[in-house]
Amino acid sequence: MSTHNSLFLISVASLAVSLFQCGCSTMNTLEPAQPVAQRQMLSDKRVITDTSLYGRVRPVGINVATVSTGFLQIQVEVQNLSSSVQLFAYRIEWFDANGMIIHTLLSTWIDRQIQGGETLSLTGIAPTETAKDFRIKFVSK
Amino acid sequence: MKIKSRSYLPLLLCPLLLGGCATPAHRVDDQRKLNSIAPTTDDYALIAGQMVQSMFESGALDKSPHKPANLCVGKIKNDTRYQFDDLNINELSKKIRTILNQSGKTITDVTGGAITEPDFTLSGKIIDKYVTQGRRKQHTYIFQLSLTDSQARAVWEDEKEVTKQETKPLF
Repeated sequence: MSTHNSLFLISVASLAVSLFQCGCSTMNTLEPAQPVAQRQMLSDKRVITDTSLYGRVRPVGINVATVSTGFLQIQVEVQNLSSSVQLFAYRIEWFDANGMIIHTLLSTWIDRQIQGGETLSLTGIAPTETAKDFRIKFVSK
Repeated sequence: MKIKSRSYLPLLLCPLLLGGCATPAHRVDDQRKLNSIAPTTDDYALIAGQMVQSMFESGALDKSPHKPANLCVGKIKNDTRYQFDDLNINELSKKIRTILNQSGKTITDVTGGAITEPDFTLSGKIIDKYVTQGRRKQHTYIFQLSLTDSQARAVWEDEKEVTKQETKPLF
Protein backbone atom coordinates (compact mmCIF):
# COMPACT_ATOMS: atom_id res chain seq x y z
CA MET A 1 0.00 0.00 0.00
CA SER A 2 1.47 3.34 -0.97
CA THR A 3 2.22 6.01 1.61
CA HIS A 4 -0.42 8.25 0.09
CA ASN A 5 -3.14 5.62 0.47
CA SER A 6 -2.05 4.87 4.04
CA LEU A 7 -2.21 8.51 5.04
CA PHE A 8 -5.62 8.83 3.41
CA LEU A 9 -6.98 5.83 5.31
CA ILE A 10 -5.55 7.09 8.59
CA SER A 11 -7.16 10.51 8.00
CA VAL A 12 -10.52 8.97 7.23
CA ALA A 13 -10.31 6.73 10.29
CA SER A 14 -9.39 9.68 12.53
CA LEU A 15 -12.23 11.75 11.15
CA ALA A 16 -14.66 8.89 11.72
CA VAL A 17 -13.50 8.49 15.32
CA SER A 18 -13.81 12.24 15.93
CA LEU A 19 -17.31 12.40 14.50
CA PHE A 20 -18.34 9.39 16.54
CA GLN A 21 -17.01 10.93 19.76
CA CYS A 22 -18.59 14.32 19.08
CA GLY A 23 -22.01 12.87 18.42
CA CYS A 24 -22.19 10.43 21.33
CA SER A 25 -22.14 11.74 24.88
CA THR A 26 -24.13 9.77 27.41
CA MET A 27 -24.76 10.42 31.09
CA ASN A 28 -24.21 8.14 34.07
CA THR A 29 -26.40 8.52 37.14
CA LEU A 30 -26.28 7.47 40.76
CA GLU A 31 -29.18 7.36 43.19
CA PRO A 32 -30.22 5.46 46.33
CA ALA A 33 -31.07 1.82 45.69
CA GLN A 34 -33.88 2.16 48.25
CA PRO A 35 -35.37 5.61 47.63
CA VAL A 36 -36.86 7.26 50.69
CA ALA A 37 -39.19 9.48 48.70
CA GLN A 38 -42.65 8.00 48.17
CA ARG A 39 -43.78 8.87 44.69
CA GLN A 40 -47.40 8.87 43.73
CA MET A 41 -47.18 7.67 40.16
CA LEU A 42 -50.08 8.14 37.77
CA SER A 43 -51.08 5.77 35.01
CA ASP A 44 -51.11 7.67 31.73
CA LYS A 45 -52.61 7.57 28.27
CA ARG A 46 -50.23 8.27 25.38
CA VAL A 47 -51.01 9.44 21.87
CA ILE A 48 -47.91 8.99 19.75
CA THR A 49 -47.81 10.67 16.36
CA ASP A 50 -44.09 11.36 16.26
CA THR A 51 -42.56 7.90 16.59
CA SER A 52 -39.10 9.30 15.94
CA LEU A 53 -39.30 11.60 18.96
CA TYR A 54 -40.88 8.88 21.10
CA GLY A 55 -38.02 6.58 20.18
CA ARG A 56 -35.48 9.13 21.36
CA VAL A 57 -37.09 11.08 24.19
CA ARG A 58 -39.57 8.94 26.07
CA PRO A 59 -41.76 9.87 29.06
CA VAL A 60 -41.12 7.28 31.74
CA GLY A 61 -43.79 8.21 34.25
CA ILE A 62 -45.78 10.98 35.92
CA ASN A 63 -45.63 11.77 39.61
CA VAL A 64 -48.31 14.00 41.17
CA ALA A 65 -48.49 15.87 44.45
CA THR A 66 -50.26 18.82 46.04
CA VAL A 67 -48.18 21.75 47.24
CA SER A 68 -48.93 23.68 50.42
CA THR A 69 -50.86 26.28 48.41
CA GLY A 70 -53.32 23.54 47.47
CA PHE A 71 -52.22 23.56 43.85
CA LEU A 72 -51.63 20.39 41.87
CA GLN A 73 -47.98 19.74 41.08
CA ILE A 74 -46.76 17.26 38.52
CA GLN A 75 -43.38 15.84 37.68
CA VAL A 76 -42.76 14.01 34.42
CA GLU A 77 -39.67 11.89 33.99
CA VAL A 78 -38.36 11.69 30.46
CA GLN A 79 -35.49 9.57 29.31
CA ASN A 80 -33.21 10.02 26.33
CA LEU A 81 -33.00 6.56 24.81
CA SER A 82 -30.35 7.63 22.32
CA SER A 83 -26.66 8.20 22.89
CA SER A 84 -26.64 11.79 21.69
CA VAL A 85 -28.02 15.11 22.89
CA GLN A 86 -31.66 15.66 21.99
CA LEU A 87 -33.60 18.90 21.78
CA PHE A 88 -37.29 19.00 22.46
CA ALA A 89 -39.98 21.31 23.75
CA TYR A 90 -42.83 20.58 26.10
CA ARG A 91 -45.92 22.33 27.30
CA ILE A 92 -48.38 21.56 30.11
CA GLU A 93 -52.07 22.33 29.63
CA TRP A 94 -54.36 22.46 32.62
CA PHE A 95 -58.05 21.57 32.90
CA ASP A 96 -60.65 22.20 35.55
CA ALA A 97 -62.94 19.60 37.14
CA ASN A 98 -65.28 19.85 34.14
CA GLY A 99 -62.49 19.17 31.70
CA MET A 100 -62.44 22.75 30.45
CA ILE A 101 -59.03 24.08 29.55
CA ILE A 102 -57.63 26.83 31.76
CA HIS A 103 -55.91 29.48 29.66
CA THR A 104 -52.77 30.54 31.46
CA LEU A 105 -49.35 31.98 30.71
CA LEU A 106 -47.95 28.95 32.52
CA SER A 107 -48.89 26.85 29.50
CA THR A 108 -46.01 28.17 27.45
CA TRP A 109 -43.67 26.03 25.36
CA ILE A 110 -40.44 25.28 27.16
CA ASP A 111 -37.31 24.24 25.29
CA ARG A 112 -35.12 21.61 26.88
CA GLN A 113 -31.98 19.71 26.08
CA ILE A 114 -31.32 16.19 27.32
CA GLN A 115 -28.01 14.36 27.24
CA GLY A 116 -27.69 10.87 25.84
CA GLY A 117 -28.98 8.34 28.34
CA GLU A 118 -30.10 11.08 30.72
CA THR A 119 -33.32 10.97 32.71
CA LEU A 120 -34.78 14.40 33.24
CA SER A 121 -37.56 15.60 35.55
CA LEU A 122 -39.94 18.18 34.15
CA THR A 123 -42.12 19.88 36.75
CA GLY A 124 -45.15 22.08 36.63
CA ILE A 125 -47.53 23.63 39.12
CA ALA A 126 -51.17 24.29 38.32
CA PRO A 127 -52.12 27.94 37.78
CA THR A 128 -55.09 27.80 40.18
CA GLU A 129 -56.72 25.52 42.76
CA THR A 130 -59.44 24.78 40.22
CA ALA A 131 -56.96 22.94 37.97
CA LYS A 132 -57.62 19.22 38.49
CA ASP A 133 -56.30 17.67 35.33
CA PHE A 134 -53.53 18.21 32.84
CA ARG A 135 -52.07 17.21 29.48
CA ILE A 136 -48.42 17.36 28.48
CA LYS A 137 -47.34 17.88 24.88
CA PHE A 138 -43.93 17.14 23.43
CA VAL A 139 -42.45 18.25 20.12
CA SER A 140 -39.09 17.72 18.55
CA LYS A 141 -36.84 20.78 18.05
CA MET B 1 -21.23 40.67 -31.68
CA LYS B 2 -24.77 39.52 -31.83
CA ILE B 3 -26.15 38.85 -28.42
CA LYS B 4 -28.90 36.31 -28.35
CA SER B 5 -32.08 37.46 -26.63
CA ARG B 6 -32.16 34.19 -24.70
CA SER B 7 -29.11 35.37 -22.73
CA TYR B 8 -31.32 37.92 -21.03
CA LEU B 9 -33.89 35.33 -19.97
CA PRO B 10 -32.28 34.47 -16.57
CA LEU B 11 -32.02 38.19 -15.78
CA LEU B 12 -35.67 38.70 -16.62
CA LEU B 13 -36.66 35.79 -14.42
CA CYS B 14 -34.72 37.08 -11.39
CA PRO B 15 -37.29 39.65 -10.27
CA LEU B 16 -40.03 37.05 -10.56
CA LEU B 17 -38.06 34.54 -8.51
CA LEU B 18 -37.09 37.11 -5.86
CA GLY B 19 -40.64 38.36 -5.71
CA GLY B 20 -41.79 34.80 -5.12
CA CYS B 21 -39.59 34.57 -2.01
CA ALA B 22 -41.72 37.18 -0.27
CA THR B 23 -44.32 35.99 2.21
CA PRO B 24 -47.36 38.06 3.08
CA ALA B 25 -47.90 38.92 6.73
CA HIS B 26 -49.38 36.02 8.65
CA ARG B 27 -49.79 34.86 12.21
CA VAL B 28 -47.39 32.23 13.45
CA ASP B 29 -47.76 29.80 16.28
CA ASP B 30 -45.34 29.45 19.18
CA GLN B 31 -43.11 27.00 17.37
CA ARG B 32 -42.31 29.28 14.48
CA LYS B 33 -41.66 32.55 16.25
CA LEU B 34 -38.38 34.27 15.52
CA ASN B 35 -35.83 34.61 18.23
CA SER B 36 -33.52 37.52 19.01
CA ILE B 37 -30.45 38.18 21.10
CA ALA B 38 -32.48 40.30 23.49
CA PRO B 39 -35.13 38.71 25.72
CA THR B 40 -38.34 38.11 23.79
CA THR B 41 -41.96 37.93 24.85
CA ASP B 42 -41.63 34.14 25.10
CA ASP B 43 -38.57 34.51 27.33
CA TYR B 44 -40.47 36.81 29.67
CA ALA B 45 -43.40 34.39 29.72
CA LEU B 46 -41.06 31.53 30.58
CA ILE B 47 -39.30 33.46 33.33
CA ALA B 48 -42.55 34.78 34.77
CA GLY B 49 -43.97 31.24 34.88
CA GLN B 50 -40.87 29.76 36.47
CA MET B 51 -40.64 32.50 39.08
CA VAL B 52 -44.29 32.26 40.10
CA GLN B 53 -44.10 28.47 40.24
CA SER B 54 -41.08 28.78 42.51
CA MET B 55 -43.04 31.20 44.68
CA PHE B 56 -45.97 28.76 44.92
CA GLU B 57 -43.67 25.88 45.81
CA SER B 58 -42.13 27.87 48.64
CA GLY B 59 -45.51 28.52 50.25
CA ALA B 60 -44.47 32.10 51.05
CA LEU B 61 -47.79 33.57 49.92
CA ASP B 62 -49.69 31.31 52.34
CA LYS B 63 -48.08 33.07 55.27
CA SER B 64 -49.84 36.31 54.40
CA PRO B 65 -52.07 37.83 57.10
CA HIS B 66 -54.65 38.46 54.36
CA LYS B 67 -56.16 36.00 51.94
CA PRO B 68 -55.65 36.79 49.11
CA ALA B 69 -52.39 38.55 49.83
CA ASN B 70 -51.96 42.23 48.96
CA LEU B 71 -48.90 42.31 46.75
CA CYS B 72 -47.15 45.29 45.32
CA VAL B 73 -45.07 44.57 42.23
CA GLY B 74 -42.18 46.97 42.60
CA LYS B 75 -39.52 47.98 40.18
CA ILE B 76 -37.56 45.38 38.27
CA LYS B 77 -34.33 47.14 37.50
CA ASN B 78 -32.47 46.77 34.23
CA ASP B 79 -28.83 46.26 35.19
CA THR B 80 -27.79 44.94 31.79
CA ARG B 81 -25.67 46.65 29.21
CA TYR B 82 -28.74 46.99 27.00
CA GLN B 83 -31.17 49.83 27.04
CA PHE B 84 -34.37 47.81 27.18
CA ASP B 85 -37.11 50.31 27.10
CA ASP B 86 -39.47 50.39 30.04
CA LEU B 87 -42.04 48.52 28.01
CA ASN B 88 -39.93 45.38 27.96
CA ILE B 89 -39.36 45.34 31.72
CA ASN B 90 -43.00 46.17 32.28
CA GLU B 91 -43.86 43.19 30.12
CA LEU B 92 -42.21 40.89 32.65
CA SER B 93 -43.98 42.60 35.55
CA LYS B 94 -47.27 42.35 33.69
CA LYS B 95 -46.90 38.64 33.08
CA ILE B 96 -46.01 37.98 36.71
CA ARG B 97 -49.01 40.01 37.89
CA THR B 98 -51.29 38.19 35.45
CA ILE B 99 -50.24 34.74 36.66
CA LEU B 100 -50.44 35.74 40.32
CA ASN B 101 -53.85 37.36 39.99
CA GLN B 102 -55.24 34.44 37.99
CA SER B 103 -54.10 32.10 40.76
CA GLY B 104 -56.38 33.82 43.25
CA LYS B 105 -53.53 33.97 45.75
CA THR B 106 -52.87 37.70 45.41
CA ILE B 107 -54.35 41.08 44.67
CA THR B 108 -51.83 43.28 42.93
CA ASP B 109 -51.38 46.95 42.33
CA VAL B 110 -51.51 47.89 38.65
CA THR B 111 -51.09 51.66 38.62
CA GLY B 112 -49.08 52.11 41.79
CA GLY B 113 -50.33 53.57 45.02
CA ALA B 114 -53.57 51.59 45.14
CA ILE B 115 -52.23 49.23 47.81
CA THR B 116 -51.00 51.40 50.65
CA GLU B 117 -50.04 48.62 53.07
CA PRO B 118 -48.97 45.63 51.00
CA ASP B 119 -48.41 42.26 52.66
CA PHE B 120 -45.62 41.62 50.20
CA THR B 121 -43.51 43.54 47.73
CA LEU B 122 -41.96 41.91 44.69
CA SER B 123 -38.84 43.49 43.28
CA GLY B 124 -35.70 42.52 41.48
CA LYS B 125 -33.29 43.14 38.70
CA ILE B 126 -31.98 41.76 35.46
CA ILE B 127 -28.23 41.47 34.98
CA ASP B 128 -26.31 40.05 32.08
CA LYS B 129 -23.10 38.25 31.26
CA TYR B 130 -21.51 38.45 27.86
CA VAL B 131 -18.98 35.98 26.46
CA THR B 132 -17.38 35.85 23.04
CA GLN B 133 -15.48 33.04 21.43
CA GLY B 134 -14.37 33.81 17.92
CA ARG B 135 -17.47 34.55 15.88
CA ARG B 136 -19.76 33.13 18.53
CA LYS B 137 -21.32 35.44 21.10
CA GLN B 138 -23.26 34.37 24.17
CA HIS B 139 -25.53 36.56 26.24
CA THR B 140 -26.87 35.29 29.55
CA TYR B 141 -29.64 37.28 31.19
CA ILE B 142 -30.03 36.61 34.89
CA PHE B 143 -33.38 37.47 36.41
CA GLN B 144 -33.25 37.97 40.18
CA LEU B 145 -36.49 38.44 42.10
CA SER B 146 -37.25 38.80 45.80
CA LEU B 147 -40.46 38.82 47.77
CA THR B 148 -40.29 40.84 50.96
CA ASP B 149 -42.91 41.13 53.68
CA SER B 150 -44.17 44.27 55.37
CA GLN B 151 -41.09 44.29 57.58
CA ALA B 152 -38.75 44.17 54.60
CA ARG B 153 -37.75 40.58 55.32
CA ALA B 154 -37.09 38.41 52.29
CA VAL B 155 -39.57 35.52 52.39
CA TRP B 156 -38.77 34.23 48.94
CA GLU B 157 -35.99 34.69 46.41
CA ASP B 158 -35.05 33.05 43.18
CA GLU B 159 -32.88 33.49 40.15
CA LYS B 160 -33.49 32.24 36.61
CA GLU B 161 -31.37 32.51 33.48
CA VAL B 162 -31.96 32.82 29.78
CA THR B 163 -28.95 32.27 27.53
CA LYS B 164 -28.81 33.31 23.90
CA GLN B 165 -26.10 32.58 21.38
CA GLU B 166 -25.42 33.95 17.96
CA THR B 167 -22.72 33.32 15.40
CA LYS B 168 -21.63 36.18 13.22
CA PRO B 169 -21.19 35.43 9.53
CA LEU B 170 -17.74 35.27 8.04
CA PHE B 171 -18.45 38.17 5.71
